Amino acid sequence: MRYEDVICPFCGCLCDDLEVTVEGGHISEVKNACGISRSKFMNHGANRLMHPTVDGEKVSLERAVEEAVELLSKAERPLVYGLSSTECGAIAKAVEIAETAGGIIDNTSSVCHGPTILALQQVGESKASLGEIRNRADLVVFWGSNPTEAHIRHITRYSGMPRGMYVPEGRKGRKIIAVDVRETGSTKLADQFVKVRPGSDFELLQALRAIVRGRELPVEEVGGVPMQRIKELADQMKSARFGIVFFGLGLTQSEGRHMNIDAAVGLVAELNRHTKFVLTPMRGHYNVSGANTVTTWQTGYPYAVDFSRGYPRYNPGEFTSVDLLSRGEVDAALIVASDPASNFPVDAAANLAKVPVVTLEQKTTPTTMLSRVTIPVATAGVEAEGTAYRMDGVPLRLKKLVEPPEGVRPDEEVLDMILKGLKEAKR
Amino acid sequence: MDGIEVTLISGRTARQGMGLEEGKLSERYTQSVNTVYLNPEDASNLGLARGGLIKVSTVSGCVTVNWGGDAGLDRGMAFFPYGPWANQLYASTTDGTGMPQFKGITATVSAAEDSRVPTIQEIVESIRGGKRL
Repeated sequence: MRYEDVICPFCGCLCDDLEVTVEGGHISEVKNACGISRSKFMNHGANRLMHPTVDGEKVSLERAVEEAVELLSKAERPLVYGLSSTECGAIAKAVEIAETAGGIIDNTSSVCHGPTILALQQVGESKASLGEIRNRADLVVFWGSNPTEAHIRHITRYSGMPRGMYVPEGRKGRKIIAVDVRETGSTKLADQFVKVRPGSDFELLQALRAIVRGRELPVEEVGGVPMQRIKELADQMKSARFGIVFFGLGLTQSEGRHMNIDAAVGLVAELNRHTKFVLTPMRGHYNVSGANTVTTWQTGYPYAVDFSRGYPRYNPGEFTSVDLLSRGEVDAALIVASDPASNFPVDAAANLAKVPVVTLEQKTTPTTMLSRVTIPVATAGVEAEGTAYRMDGVPLRLKKLVEPPEGVRPDEEVLDMILKGLKEAKR
Repeated sequence: MDGIEVTLISGRTARQGMGLEEGKLSERYTQSVNTVYLNPEDASNLGLARGGLIKVSTVSGCVTVNWGGDAGLDRGMAFFPYGPWANQLYASTTDGTGMPQFKGITATVSAAEDSRVPTIQEIVESIRGGKRL
């Protein structure tokens, strides 16, 4: 059986042109995939968790759910976290679980593009779909982003190489500028590499903004970039027909965090006095955008939402997972499609290890290794269908290609079982 | 030389992405994230031997890892792929943003003699409050 137009559930590109061959219930071939995507499809069955466990002992799914319900219903400050690598139906159930438990719902954007959301809520954004960028953009800026490693087909599918309706020459019709603190595959591929001193992105963005506005700055360089070079950049940006800034964690995880994004939005707003310019965050996990979207539908807020007072309250810095854990505030956790024990700073991970954790996961991770309850689940986009949101906010339907291991269910079904048990326990 | 101060940058790599899809306990994943990359001149000044180990320390923690050379890094800069080994070094303070600073922190790197790279099981054990790394 050969499936066409398969969507890759790895990164925020959600490439939708994969061809997957299934033979005897197993994936035998993947075409059009990048190396990471190929690894995901070909290894989805490798090293799987096969049975639910409680305290390391193999149990039935029903027993594991019962234990999860017990832990969450007795907790005073339960945290529901992860969600960016699963589909929207599961995310909706997770939000409802957090509400029912009177806990906190947070997703991995709090440690990736959370600062982006903070900034965009303050100053707005000028955005476009990847299709529009593919067809129109003649100047592409990657700022603090390395797509050759993290979004491998982005440049070939959407931003750099394709022949677009108004960019018929393809790569030759587009200028690519990479701004980074170090040389990467993306800076080598770009037409121009602007090396900025670490921790100086905010200053460089503000200097560019001032120059675009026509101001003179009485300095010789900003962030290690000579003023003459900054003026050239400003001229190139102003003279583009359609410009785009794709920015990554180089801005959100470095000194300044959300203020870096604020400055980037300010630069793009200033450029729109001269030409059409947009910006788009390079979202990492394939459905982190969906996690923000679904959580916003249901609570009004995209992440870091607390239900302890019976209604949703939003406060990144207080209700974000790393902050909650580092303060030792959480007394139970439900982790879905994420590995915070690997991805959080050691202090926060250590406090997670002190509380009972329920984890829904496909494979063994440091988080499953320290969990009281582990429940294996199907891989969305391979073993289960569902909806995911691309980095530009376009929803796409993931396909089910093969059956999950026997007895293993999708995240949404397991979360629904926990939710029903929790409602019963709270009654 | 005893050690040098570097600006530590963490980030994604394609090898890390391919490895994690095999599994967090896979050799491919481990090898993709337990290596710090240094400017080759810095490595030479530290007297690092090919195949040797380095100790990376910050105010928040320290870890022994493999090292590799990367001429794309300026002197005084180091790159550490995201993962359990890198996260031994970062503080959980977020300055009210929810986001720890994973890029641009100060670290000290030095040759690590008579040491070894901790396994992922040892890292999990230390997270649980067991033996420190």
